[in-house]
Amino acid sequence: MEEDIDTRKINNSFLRDHSYATEDKTVKLWKVSERDKRPEGYNLKDEEGRLRDPATITTLRVPVLRPMDLMVEATPRRVFANAHTYHINSISVNSDYETYMSADDLRINLWNFEITNQSFNIVDIKPANMEELTEVITAAEFHPHHCNTFVYSSSKGTIRLCDMRASALCDRHTKFFEEPEDPSNRSFFSEIISSISDVKFSHSGRYIMTRDYLTVKVWDLNMENRPIETYQVHDYLRSKLCSLYENDCIFDKFECVWNGSDSVIMTGSYNNFFRMFDRNTKRDVTLEASRENSKPRAILKPRKVCVGGKRRKDEISVDSLDFSKKILHTAWHPSENIIAVAATNNLYIFQDKVN
Amino acid sequence: MEFKLEAHRIVSISLGKIYNSRVQRGGIKLHKNLLVSLVLRSARQVYLSDPCPGLYLAGPAGSPAAPPQQPGEPAAGPPAGWGEPPPPAACVAWPETEPQPERPADPAPPRVGAAEPAAPVTGAGDALRAGEMEEAEAAWRRVEGPREAAEGGAGVFAGAEGPRGARRHCGCPPGGEDRPGALGACPRVDCRCAPRPAEDEPPAPPAVGPRKRGAAGVGGGPAGGPAPGSSPLKKPRRNSEEQPGGAEEEEEMETGNVANLISIFGSSFSGLLRKSPGGGREEAEGEESGPEAAEPGQICCDKPVLRDINPWSTAIVAF
Repeated sequence: MEEDIDTRKINNSFLRDHSYATEDKTVKLWKVSERDKRPEGYNLKDEEGRLRDPATITTLRVPVLRPMDLMVEATPRRVFANAHTYHINSISVNSDYETYMSADDLRINLWNFEITNQSFNIVDIKPANMEELTEVITAAEFHPHHCNTFVYSSSKGTIRLCDMRASALCDRHTKFFEEPEDPSNRSFFSEIISSISDVKFSHSGRYIMTRDYLTVKVWDLNMENRPIETYQVHDYLRSKLCSLYENDCIFDKFECVWNGSDSVIMTGSYNNFFRMFDRNTKRDVTLEASRENSKPRAILKPRKVCVGGKRRKDEISVDSLDFSKKILHTAWHPSENIIAVAATNNLYIFQDKVN
Repeated sequence: MEFKLEAHRIVSISLGKIYNSRVQRGGIKLHKNLLVSLVLRSARQVYLSDPCPGLYLAGPAGSPAAPPQQPGEPAAGPPAGWGEPPPPAACVAWPETEPQPERPADPAPPRVGAAEPAAPVTGAGDALRAGEMEEAEAAWRRVEGPREAAEGGAGVFAGAEGPRGARRHCGCPPGGEDRPGALGACPRVDCRCAPRPAEDEPPAPPAVGPRKRGAAGVGGGPAGGPAPGSSPLKKPRRNSEEQPGGAEEEEEMETGNVANLISIFGSSFSGLLRKSPGGGREEAEGEESGPEAAEPGQICCDKPVLRDINPWSTAIVAF
């Protein structure tokens, strides 16, 4: 499929085993189930499923369930269509588990899971004259506990927190998070690299984390003028922005995730590297998701990118990085130290060392 | 100088991206095109303003704080790069620039000057430091009147424009060269190439190519060698003249490069780049929208820069 698929899993007893996805401008709710048994011994069908002529049946039997290879099935259960004009970039389930929102470049719509032909528009930043467009919505998420609160990020590197109780159309934000630009870092590409690609609430609901091209930032909801923490993901790319612009890598949208206790954050990079930052110890690590070093039970070795000067053994130089191998999507188990990392067309699942 | 090259390269890449986005599957991506247009605008500003090195490029810039707009402040001292012929690569980048018709031979290679689009424009620094072609165009129109006054004392200034003036990049035959204020008998009604009234003046100072007006007189005598005494005289004139000249040069330089894109994008342009945060663009916009509206789809010398700088707006408008 060439259309971008954005998927979220709903982890809740009510909607368990359902997940939803978008194809550009339509949202679909899928039921995902596992099947490990299948019935055998139908009377009117043979083993290949062809109908049998009843006249040929001489005996009856009761079909039985026999084990089979585990199969995962996904069935579309709801289709929420025709509410978006632009490409959808985010969907977020509300903490009430009855509603969810879908965000495209210029609008955010609120849906009820049971109602597929109607949605409420809660944010609309489309200018009257499209030629006056200066920013678009890049990501949106509901607060984990307050079902009336959500945030959305923009291509200008800003985050707006909105309260749906304030008004029906949340064009006026309740809070506005923006960090002043550092003039010494100004370049042709300053705007591109400040565009936020992902925004995530912490599990506690007290912080938000944003990912732009080179950094991950943690913001305290109570402080709007700057983030409380900034982590460099791959600052060695700052001098390569022109090449990355040329090959379109600068437009890559990396996600970021919190661990269950909000003490560690993780995000992806190039060359199948992904990075973890411990907010308490301030230590960080770079790991690689590759077949060679991912035999089962093998322990991942930290990697290091050499930024100049002498390259030590085991280090990889910036110019040797493979920019076609990018880790855009990662996930962290809500309570265990188990992570999932998507590397192109492979999915890696890692867990903490088990002693 | 290398910043100009970089800016030029970035402009080319950006335009290519915008073009490709129109043909790729999945429809135009609004976000990506918006970002590309912002890069395009930044590159164009650098391109036009020929600022101090490091202004727009990451690096140990001494004074990056100065934004491209520095109204009212003459260039304190032009960068060393001024007055030097641009590297040959810059020339090569503009293969389509038209040959100059007869014009008194100028010392520095005339074509080379072409590659230095905004050097003169920004030479003045001030008015054009805003760096927006739209303002340049609008200002150019306003300047038509006072041109007569300017003619008299043009001096070196005039000479600097001479070669360029004789030729109209849009292909209109030169005419009305010495008619101040005359728009010239440009056959194309929508062609806004400017006649160069000062063409009958003696050629520009020797060390400076015709295009390098910046060197010729900008704020205080760069390396080139134009009569220092004439600098103060030149500067105010240059301001008014620079803009149209710069606009012309810019057009010329961009045209060859993006003729294909222009023909593809066609219809009238306006848009984000026009309505940049600077408030001062309003009047430029106002003046612009008229002529622009009048000539949708025209591919001509008029505002090719605008066309190729603003093609993304087509993508946006196309929604």
